[in-house]
Amino acid sequence: MGLVEVATGRILDSFSVFLFLTILLMAVSRRVSTSVLLFSVQSAIIAGEAFATGFRERLVEAYVIGVLIVVIKVIAIPRAFFGLVGHLKTSSDVKASTTPTQSVFIAAAMIYLSYVAVQSYGQSVHVSEDALAAPIALILTGAFLMVSRKKALMQMLGLMVLENGIFLAALTTTFGMPLVIEIGVFFDLLMGLLLMGVFAFRIRDTFDHLDVSKLRRLRG
Amino acid sequence: MKIALNILQAILIILGAPLVRGIVARCKAFLQRRQGASIWRPYYDLAKLFRKEDLVPPTASAVFRVVPFILFATTICAVAFVPLLQPAALLASHGDFFLFVYLLAIGRFFLSLGAFDGGSAFGGMGASREALISCLAEAPFLLSFVAIAILASHADIAGMVSWTLQQNFFNVSAVHILAFTSLGMVVIAETGRMPVDNPTTHLELTMIHEAMILEYSGTRLALIEWASAIKLHAMLALLAALFFPWGMASGASVGFVALSLPLYCAKIGLLIILLAVIESGMAKLRMYLVPDFLGVASAVSVLAVIFTFLAKR
Amino acid sequence: MQVVFIEWAFGFLLATLGLFVPIILIASLGGKTRRLAIALIVGSNVMGCIVAALCFWRETTVRLDFSAFSPFPLALGIDRLSAFFLLLICTVAVPVAIFSIEYFDLHYAEKRRNWVWTFFSLFLASMILVVTASTGFAFLIGWELMTLLTAGLILMEGDSTERRHSVFLYLLMMHAGAAAVIGSFLLFLPFSHGLDFASLRSAGSVMPQGIRTMVFLLAFLGFGAKAGMIPLHIWLPRAHPIAPSPVSALMSGVMLKTAVYGFVRFVFDFLGGGPSWWSGYVVLAVGAVTGLLGILYAIAENDLKRLLAYSSVENIGIIFLGLGVSLVLLAHQAPLWAGLALVGALLHAFNHALFKSLLFLGAGAISDSTHTVNLEDLGGLQRRMPVTGLSLLVACCSIAGLPLFNGFVGEWIIFRSLLAGSVLSDTRAQIVLPLTVGILALIGGLAAACFVKVFGVAFLGRPRSAAAEDAQEAPPAMRVGLSLLAAACLGIGIFPGLFLRPLVSLVQTLVPGAGVPLETVSIARILPIAAAIVLGAAMAAGLLKRRERIARTWACGLPGLTTRMQYTSTVFSKPIRFVFSSVYKPNRKVDRLPPDQPYFPASVTYRSVRTTSYEKSIYRPFVELFLSAARGLRRMQTGNIQVYLLYIFLTLVLLLAFLRFQK
Repeated sequence: MGLVEVATGRILDSFSVFLFLTILLMAVSRRVSTSVLLFSVQSAIIAGEAFATGFRERLVEAYVIGVLIVVIKVIAIPRAFFGLVGHLKTSSDVKASTTPTQSVFIAAAMIYLSYVAVQSYGQSVHVSEDALAAPIALILTGAFLMVSRKKALMQMLGLMVLENGIFLAALTTTFGMPLVIEIGVFFDLLMGLLLMGVFAFRIRDTFDHLDVSKLRRLRG
Repeated sequence: MKIALNILQAILIILGAPLVRGIVARCKAFLQRRQGASIWRPYYDLAKLFRKEDLVPPTASAVFRVVPFILFATTICAVAFVPLLQPAALLASHGDFFLFVYLLAIGRFFLSLGAFDGGSAFGGMGASREALISCLAEAPFLLSFVAIAILASHADIAGMVSWTLQQNFFNVSAVHILAFTSLGMVVIAETGRMPVDNPTTHLELTMIHEAMILEYSGTRLALIEWASAIKLHAMLALLAALFFPWGMASGASVGFVALSLPLYCAKIGLLIILLAVIESGMAKLRMYLVPDFLGVASAVSVLAVIFTFLAKR
Repeated sequence: MQVVFIEWAFGFLLATLGLFVPIILIASLGGKTRRLAIALIVGSNVMGCIVAALCFWRETTVRLDFSAFSPFPLALGIDRLSAFFLLLICTVAVPVAIFSIEYFDLHYAEKRRNWVWTFFSLFLASMILVVTASTGFAFLIGWELMTLLTAGLILMEGDSTERRHSVFLYLLMMHAGAAAVIGSFLLFLPFSHGLDFASLRSAGSVMPQGIRTMVFLLAFLGFGAKAGMIPLHIWLPRAHPIAPSPVSALMSGVMLKTAVYGFVRFVFDFLGGGPSWWSGYVVLAVGAVTGLLGILYAIAENDLKRLLAYSSVENIGIIFLGLGVSLVLLAHQAPLWAGLALVGALLHAFNHALFKSLLFLGAGAISDSTHTVNLEDLGGLQRRMPVTGLSLLVACCSIAGLPLFNGFVGEWIIFRSLLAGSVLSDTRAQIVLPLTVGILALIGGLAAACFVKVFGVAFLGRPRSAAAEDAQEAPPAMRVGLSLLAAACLGIGIFPGLFLRPLVSLVQTLVPGAGVPLETVSIARILPIAAAIVLGAAMAAGLLKRRERIARTWACGLPGLTTRMQYTSTVFSKPIRFVFSSVYKPNRKVDRLPPDQPYFPASVTYRSVRTTSYEKSIYRPFVELFLSAARGLRRMQTGNIQVYLLYIFLTLVLLLAFLRFQK
């Protein structure tokens, strides 16, 4: 039992660094499939965090949520994305508007910014600074992905990463939201993905491309 | 006794370098489902090259003739900085990592000059590409060491290794993970491994290091090949010493040394397997994507430095 | 006793360079007297070295007062800082003078030679005047003389519209800088009873904060313009390449350091550190930007002398980066590390003087032999000019910052001071200082790449033009000059301890509370050991039995290699220029001429011009502002005499009103 204790302790203390690494790699990646793979790694780390929290706080809910994350975010959603990419038969390029070097420095700046932002809150919530800064960095990364990647699929992925961040924030501060809300959020995500898939096909059929920066006819 | 151990460390690095290269090649062959050559093949190669004649191009000047000796000598001097079996080495407590990095830079500088002296297009091409990679790799190389040095409050390598030895193994800090990542990327770039450079290619589209040594043969080529193998071994040993030093002999007795040697071999073996996996798993980067690769290494090392002060708060 | 000897020797040095030699040369009739004059120049500089060495190592100070002979107070003194810079001047002047014996003979006609040597000697005297001045008046005389004499030397080299424009720009920027320096001197006046340095020093400690800030900014601007900080550097790449090579060597190597001397004197000696916490960061930031942009522009150059000029900009950036670090650490109450950074900056200034003069002298030897300094036309010179090549190899290794050569030691000390500053408790310092290590590393890496290009393209491989093929080794006097400087570079690189000990005690006079940093001791101990290991290993490897044979270049089996197949300087720097293209903003034009007949290849011309222009983006708007203000004022000059009478009348009315309301 002692080893599991130690392992959970390690996971809880150091998961944020690995999340930062996935953030940096996601900023650099040039292909949709790489970004989706990194997203599933991120979700796996968050699932591990959920399991560790459940073990330490003895919450059954946390275990259930962890399993849900694994099933939906680590396996199902990435599978759906890969399927979409295959069916759409578009290029796998992410169509970033910043060079990889610029993106990775922006990502590093966002990580630093998230630390600066949570500086004053660390004491009052009794959570380590890393655990507070990681979700904020994820939220910022999700927003950055949505802003700087012009491919329609990446908009959805950015939203997923953002949701990951919000969920992680809830997990570390209040050890998870009530189960009903969690399940509701998951269904929201699935709906969103379904809609996104349908839209992607429609956009591709109408305009022959998936570049959202060219969809500007809706102007005043 | 300590000095004898330090000299033994240096000799181990120098003599074990071709073996490291052979094991990397064998692992790659295994991952690529090939038979692969024997792990002792680099030794046979070196012996063969030492026996052969040196061919010197007619346009070459004294610089061409002298480059391999300078490269070999400065690499050996850099080896004196690397702790292997104990947290000390010949020069590890007097010199610091700046001197280590720049001693290796001497070798690179002269190798580029020797490349020009061949008088063909390949030399200049290799030197030009190597110049790009080395100038962009200096910053993350030094910044990764700086991050660890700030944590350890020591700038000499022996001090940094001793400090890490006193830390708890399970207390893995963000700074160490980030510094290890960026230093690993720099090691790949500096030693000319995939995805930055292919050490087995001879196509002009893909050569960097190979292009610089194209005109060398015989003893001179043997010295250059040996020096680059020593560089790889020394850098891997430095990675192991800085980030996983536990198991190093704390005293200078034979018993401690006998225990730390197999542990060191295990650590280097793990690093070699990691290197082989990375090399076989990634395609070689197009040359103008290498600055992006090194840009990521720079950003990660900058983040490591920023985290040192976040950690101390 | 010693002090008297030093005083007399110093007086002799100044008198020789300033009076005797010019008189001899102007009045002379032939070669013999000129040789006497040259021997006097060299001899007095050697004496200057001895004087400076005695003052520097033995910690003596001297003072010579000439106020009786001049309308304003004119006194000279050698204190520790002046001794260091005097040593710099004289140590570089000796090899340069020896080099110039042959160079001026080959370069100038008989009649001009005397004038050139006169100006040369006076130029040396003016620089010595600047660094040994003990009153403001003496300092400013020397400052102005330096500018005028170098302008004269540049104009004596030849005449053309281009040259006159460059000299005009040079004089303009130098005088703008001198105006700032005079301004910062004058700001001391309300608080000190004169402009001699002792009273300036005591005034500096009682001045209010606002005035201190003004003095600092004016001094930074004035000395920065002289030193070549970006964006005040535009005169450097125009003026240095068109001067004769020995004069370029002195300008780049020594004259820029007088600006560093001025800055150190003003900020560290008079003001006792920067005026507030941000001053160090400003100097550091400007130094870093200058270093980075300087070396990036240098890499893109093909003209060797312009490349060396930009490289001087880069090294000045590094020196000011070190000075900035020192000021930052001083403001954070860490005098030990501040002293270390100052040692690094001063040592780098000395090292740069040595290897930059060596590089410019080498460029002079090359241009003498091949009549070109365009890297695209050189090649294979190492086999034809072995001694020149070896000296320049030492210089290129030094400027690339490789250990066992002198360029490394200064940079290493600055690195260590940055590292030491990272343990301060201030957040700003904790982030900025370690990250500056990264910037300095990038600058160093780019410098190494640049000088691989210089040496590789110019000296190695095959000759790219007939001129390079027929190159001859430099004449003996030039070789002696080059070898002396190369030996000095190697000497300081392997045994820096000789210099570091007195430098540390020099810094202790400037930065109160600075002790002896351990880093200076450790580097002095380990570099000889490392040199011994490298030498031993190289010799052991060299003893290996081997057979050698000359065979055709292999080049993967390509037959018929010609010299045009080699990499050129432009192509070598292409990857770096591509990665940093936002700095260069190249403007490319491709012209295709249609072929005369359908099956023959067309002619294509490709032109790539670098368009980052400080003139257009910074100077032109500034100048336009002045011109439009001047145009506005011009409207007052109507030409109508009644309007002028009206002005006089209005002035009278205003005076009466002023008198009325003063009550």
